[in-house]
Amino acid sequence: MVDVSQHELVPDHTVLEDAEIDSVLEEYGLSRTDLPKIKLNDPALPDDATPGDVIEIVRDSRTTDTATSYRLVIE
Amino acid sequence: MSMQTPKQLGGIRFGLMDPETYRDLSATKVITADTYDDDGYPIDMGLMDPRLGVIDPGLECRTCGQHSGSCPGHFGHIELAAPVIHVGFTTLMRRLLRATCRECGSLTLVEEKKEEFRDQLERAEELGKDPDTVLKSAVREARKQNTCPHCGSPQADIKHEKPTTYYEVENVLASEYSEVIAEAMQPDDEDEDDEGISPSELADQTGISLERINQILGGEFRPLDEDRRALEKALDVDLTEEDMNKLMPSDIRDWFEDIPDSDIEVLGIDSENSRPEWMIMTVLPVPPVTARPSITLDNGQRSEDDLTHKLVDIIRINQRFMENREAGAPQLIIEDLWELLQYHVTTFVDNEISGTPPARHRSGRPLKTLSQRLKGKEGRFRGSLSGKRVNFSARTVISPDPTLSLNEVGIPDRVASEMTITINVTDRNTEEARQYVANGPEKHPGANYVKRPDGRRLKVTPKNCEELATKIEEGWEVNRHLVDGDIVIFNRQPSLHRMSIMAHEVVVMPYKTFRLNTVVCPPYNADFDGDEMNLHALQTEEARAEARVLMRVQEQILSPRFGENIIGAIQDHISGTYLLTNDNPHFTETQALDLLRATRVDELPDPDGEDEAGPYWSGRTVFSLLLPDGLNLDFTSSTGEDVVIEDGELLEGTIDEDAVGAFGGEIVDTIVKQYSETRARVFINEVAALAMRAIMHFGFSIGIDDESIPPVADEQVDEAIDNAYDRIEELIDTYEAGELESLPGRTVDETLEMKIMQTLGKARDSAGEIADDHFSDDNPAVVMARSGARGSMLNLTQMAGCVGQQAVRGERINRGYEDRTLAHYEENDLSAEAHGFVENSYRSGLTPREFFFHAMGGREGLVDTAVRTSKSGYLQRRLINALSELEVQYDGTVRDTSDTVIQFEFGEDGTSPVRVSSDDDFDIDVESITDRVVDAEFDSEGEKEAFLGRREPPTNLSERSEPRFQEVESDD
Ligand SMILES: [Mg+2]
Ligand SMILES: [Zn+2]
Ligand SMILES: [Zn+2]
Repeated sequence: MVDVSQHELVPDHTVLEDAEIDSVLEEYGLSRTDLPKIKLNDPALPDDATPGDVIEIVRDSRTTDTATSYRLVIE
Repeated sequence: MSMQTPKQLGGIRFGLMDPETYRDLSATKVITADTYDDDGYPIDMGLMDPRLGVIDPGLECRTCGQHSGSCPGHFGHIELAAPVIHVGFTTLMRRLLRATCRECGSLTLVEEKKEEFRDQLERAEELGKDPDTVLKSAVREARKQNTCPHCGSPQADIKHEKPTTYYEVENVLASEYSEVIAEAMQPDDEDEDDEGISPSELADQTGISLERINQILGGEFRPLDEDRRALEKALDVDLTEEDMNKLMPSDIRDWFEDIPDSDIEVLGIDSENSRPEWMIMTVLPVPPVTARPSITLDNGQRSEDDLTHKLVDIIRINQRFMENREAGAPQLIIEDLWELLQYHVTTFVDNEISGTPPARHRSGRPLKTLSQRLKGKEGRFRGSLSGKRVNFSARTVISPDPTLSLNEVGIPDRVASEMTITINVTDRNTEEARQYVANGPEKHPGANYVKRPDGRRLKVTPKNCEELATKIEEGWEVNRHLVDGDIVIFNRQPSLHRMSIMAHEVVVMPYKTFRLNTVVCPPYNADFDGDEMNLHALQTEEARAEARVLMRVQEQILSPRFGENIIGAIQDHISGTYLLTNDNPHFTETQALDLLRATRVDELPDPDGEDEAGPYWSGRTVFSLLLPDGLNLDFTSSTGEDVVIEDGELLEGTIDEDAVGAFGGEIVDTIVKQYSETRARVFINEVAALAMRAIMHFGFSIGIDDESIPPVADEQVDEAIDNAYDRIEELIDTYEAGELESLPGRTVDETLEMKIMQTLGKARDSAGEIADDHFSDDNPAVVMARSGARGSMLNLTQMAGCVGQQAVRGERINRGYEDRTLAHYEENDLSAEAHGFVENSYRSGLTPREFFFHAMGGREGLVDTAVRTSKSGYLQRRLINALSELEVQYDGTVRDTSDTVIQFEFGEDGTSPVRVSSDDDFDIDVESITDRVVDAEFDSEGEKEAFLGRREPPTNLSERSEPRFQEVESDD
């Protein structure tokens, strides 16, 4: 099987710690369920992700070098 | 004059309505199907009862006392003789019937399961998922139960026959049960091991007494429940048949009344606002007369609205139903009438139900009932609410006017004196307002209406204008004509991007068309072959200010689609600058000044030198006069030539499409980004003006002879094509001899086709080259192709050399007759000419067969465009609907109306494409930006600015109040 998370076109997906989640939610004034979603069966997710986790995605950007976004893992 | 008090909506609640509420709201009960009596007066308690509202002028509403126009209309009601099902809720009703108990009404799920589904519903709502999936699985789960977990009664399955019939399906003992059992006990003829089964054996196996078995076999005893199941198991037969029991609406209503509030919440219904039994109607609301006005035809006959017709049907059947029931008519007749009543109420709500014949008008036209008023493109939502018609708008044909600035629009005087702008009279403009009114509605800068402070509107007429003018005071409103400098909104459909709607300044002109500068054709995608455009006059000061700052054409020079300019020189402008700068021609003083006559330049610099005609100025020098001081640029145009601009002087290179054109002309793009929109507007205006003078100076025309080549060249072209034909013949020979080697991954047939296509493609290219060699550099078609003004070298090749292979679906033309394309060819002819190769040029003319092939290829192009536009239009509509509510918030995130985040930063970089200059070579042009910033820092003026803070140049000034063609801002 190919591990797509290692592909150069797949950006880094990392599971956030609770403290980090709180600071992200604080910064944007959000509750967890207001975040964009990602399905648990998404092949880009790290293996240890479980529903309810928040994933940080860091993409390369032509204009700002890196662009960060967050998603809530759902079933 | 009554003023409506503004009211605020507290909220909107969706739910079902209680029949009692219908009765409470009702202005009257409707009992007769008649509308008007012989004198033409509405009949009491009829469908046009004056308590339902008034439409005839002069009559007074018996409910609210107002006259037609101000009476909003009032609902009435019909008491239905028997309950009927509302078609809009049939699927929900099916769900409820399947999920609840026939006896006690409760959801056939145990308490824990209910709780589980309640939780899932809540979660789905939180995550913004479709709650329907949860509801469906709850119903599926409940339907599986054979007995009710609450009262233990058995549950029958529900069958739904569209649109409004429900059956209970029960398995009951088949009527021929004894024959089935006897048959099963016989030995099977085809199976030798099967010896059958005797009654006593059967009794042993089932535990039923032998006597009972015999009674059963004799048809004297009906085996029920356990006995039946035991027999079925022993004999491996099915002793049941389906029994369909029709559920009448009244049964369903009784059933639903038993469903507890807590259970319907699990099924996704808000018990506070809706009770499921309300889906079966016992009272029918009658829409107000104002919602179904009757119209009087020319012959004085009244014609009723479709809804009224439908209501007449309902009342008639309702009455017949009641009469029959009172007379004690047989059940069969009652049921027929019930069904008829159901049909009429169903089609009253929706007349396009599949499986139900639509109710028709006498003429055979299907009636337009409630759903049909709302649905579809012309329905209330898409037709009347999202797409409203507006006042203060005008539409006419457009035509070009190169003397206008790109910010302006020419407006016919008759439009200007019909369309008005509302001005509020204050102490500062009273005199001005009076002058407009004094001019009256006919003299141009006049006024058509005035509004007194008490809200009364007065029409300005040639008779009363003088007198009215003296009365104008503070607090009045004057609807004055459009005048030069007013800001208006201009639009061409289809409005595919934001530059399809831009603000222009008015220039009032004679004749009947809207006039616009040709440089704004690209953003509107307009041409002048009959295109029409719309114009909207803005009515409030805020709207005018916003339009001027945000929407004016000069603010839209850069396209957010690709971040470069979409407004710039086009067509003849580009030919003009090309002719002006390509060979760097010399001009005398008079000529140079003539070229610049429509620009702000009125003084020439020192001459570039002297020739036999005296002092001269070169084309590049003349062009440089339009460039801002301090502009430095160095780029390669697509012709491969280097263009060098230093300190606002064009030192080297030809100005073509890559320099000044729309869609990313380097110079225009740079001026907008480094100087200002205003400077760029002046530059584009002046380039267009200079280019027009230049092209007129040199003279530029094109004719059929410009595409002809000498006979020698013609012969060369023929030879090239003949050579190709020979090579193809060789290919075909090898193919027919079976010696053609196939290319990897291709069949031999495909290989042959490819090789033929290749050979013919090369033939056309070499024909093009031959033709090209014989065209001089000043050939107008060549000038246009090279400069990028219009057309390409391929067009020229096809005109002068050879049109080439015609293709359908990317292949040579292969279809038509059996094994051949046209009846003119032998079957299986593989030659070039039999498959659509056009060896002639457009100029020499096509043979009839070539012409036919050409039409085949041409049609494909037309069909493709037609399909593409309709497909992309639909796609665009869906995208707009999906994205229309997204908004960039002050924290930089993009969110929808429920505040969920769509992007954490706009575009993931928080930058606008028009504020960033980046291309394939550098991501962001950081260096030149910092250079510019640092330069400004060391300048004394810049130091001051740094202390005072950056001051934006004003963008909201009318061109009328700023020097149009004179020196612009100091940043020049
Ligand atoms: Mg057109
Ligand atoms: Zn009324
Ligand atoms: Zn029950």
